[in-house]
Amino acid sequence: MTTEAVSMPAAVLPVETGNTTRRLWSFAFYAALTIGAIIWIAPVYLLVSTAFKSSLDFSTNGALSLPSRIEWGNFAKAWDAGIKTYFFNSLGLTLIKVPIGVLIEAMAAFALSQMNLPRSRLIFGIFLIGLIVPIQMTLVPLTIVLRNLGLIDSLFGLFWIYLGFGLPFGILVLRGFMKAIPRELVEAAFMDGCTWFGVFWRIVLPLSKPAVVSLLIFDGVATWNEFILAQIFLRANTNRTLPLGVVNFQTEYATAYELLAAAQCITIAPLIIVYLVFQRHFVDGLSGSVKS
Amino acid sequence: MTDTLWAAAFLAPALIIFSVVIIYPMLYSAWLSLFEWDGVAPIKTFVGLDNYTTLFTSNRVFWIALKNSILWTVVALTVPTSLGLALALVLNRKFAGRAFFRSVFYFPAILSMSIVGLIWTWVYHPTLGMLNQLLGWMGQPSLQHAWLSEPSIGLFCVMIAAAWHNTGLPMLLFLAGLQTIPPEVLEAADLDGASRFQRFRLVIFPMLRETTFVIMAITFINSLKVYDIVYVMTYGGPANQTQVLGTWMYFLTYNFNRIGLGTAIAMVLFALTLIFAIPYTRKLSRD
Repeated sequence: MTTEAVSMPAAVLPVETGNTTRRLWSFAFYAALTIGAIIWIAPVYLLVSTAFKSSLDFSTNGALSLPSRIEWGNFAKAWDAGIKTYFFNSLGLTLIKVPIGVLIEAMAAFALSQMNLPRSRLIFGIFLIGLIVPIQMTLVPLTIVLRNLGLIDSLFGLFWIYLGFGLPFGILVLRGFMKAIPRELVEAAFMDGCTWFGVFWRIVLPLSKPAVVSLLIFDGVATWNEFILAQIFLRANTNRTLPLGVVNFQTEYATAYELLAAAQCITIAPLIIVYLVFQRHFVDGLSGSVKS
Repeated sequence: MTDTLWAAAFLAPALIIFSVVIIYPMLYSAWLSLFEWDGVAPIKTFVGLDNYTTLFTSNRVFWIALKNSILWTVVALTVPTSLGLALALVLNRKFAGRAFFRSVFYFPAILSMSIVGLIWTWVYHPTLGMLNQLLGWMGQPSLQHAWLSEPSIGLFCVMIAAAWHNTGLPMLLFLAGLQTIPPEVLEAADLDGASRFQRFRLVIFPMLRETTFVIMAITFINSLKVYDIVYVMTYGGPANQTQVLGTWMYFLTYNFNRIGLGTAIAMVLFALTLIFAIPYTRKLSRD
């Protein structure tokens, strides 16, 4: 599946020779890249085309053919069979958790980068532990904590856990960005009578907008996709988020392939939209984590 | 209000949530790994390091899971990372349609691992799956397999699905790294008569060292804790042959109620993670 793509650089060798050779190279380059891309995206084609097929179409014509007739009804059926609940659970959780999380992360990053706090390096280091801890190490104690607080099997309980797991990466990216903000700006704001909160809210946060936007999108995608924690801490069918609900759908409707595919398409559709609109921010947000 | 009080106020929400969600559970897990407990009974029995001894001496599946996790990590450190580097080198060239191809190759990385697992479970389906139908259509029925349910190849099939998802991140990070190489350096290499391969080995690759290290560290940490895609695609089966440490920890804890053994596995995972995690966090906190 992956060998074609590996061999692609071979098609990218020198092009400084004559015009015909150059054209041949160019053709070979595009051909190799296109074949690689088709193979790469084939599983997604399989998913989308299955979602538009009737079950008869799928079982008689196989996985590779195009739908003989477009069946929009699969989406409505999957939606009514439970995906609707999962969809709104995921949407609500993402829309509430992500902005609150980024605000808390920005506040902490501000304190760690702009406030001359003694031991700020140590505190930052403690937050970085969160980037390396295997999630498995927290599961049992978190189960006990949530049970004691009566928050097991609730989206509100999961909200707090997602907040905690989002902190390290958010603080890493925002702190790196805020460190580059010139101190003179902060000092000038103090001259004008700003409090620390004023400096944060009116100077540093607006100036950090590129990093904040990248983080909102990045964390939005991560929250939308999260599976492990949701699976451990959510039980009732009505509480499930999309990734969990769709996996469960697979066991419930094991033979209704077209419904399963439609359900998965509904899950990834918002991601595709966000990806197409905010593509640039994926690169920016990620490179923020490398350049410290 | 003094400066320190202000700083404390800004840090308090993050520190409190972080302590409750990450720090306290880590410490408590370490403590629980010294007890025999079913997760329900009011009494926990202190057993010292017995859980660790049990894992290493008499838990056959633990060894399978450990071996599979190491294998998984080795494959993850090589296959998706080198593929990501190759794609980055190709897609860093200027040509029409470059943005489109970048989007195509990055796309799987934005999908949830659980969805990737579901999609590939269909690709591998013995009768209805794309892979076997394609092999049949090409007249190669002898190559058809019940991919995921054959113990010898099941884990590799899951690894391919994971590599499909995990190639996007290194590709993107390598692309970002390539942007930081000044064009003059590359021109100088050309003027000195360096071949394309020499240019890559002697100029480009050394300048990507930092990026490579970050990618390796992230990949290493993520590989050890892998859970969702294995859970979705094989559920650790057939006969526990595709268990990894992450899934076996889950089964021991939540299906067999062996809390002590489960948390002991989590501790083993953490210890292994530290190999790469210590230099990685050092690098991040130094700047």
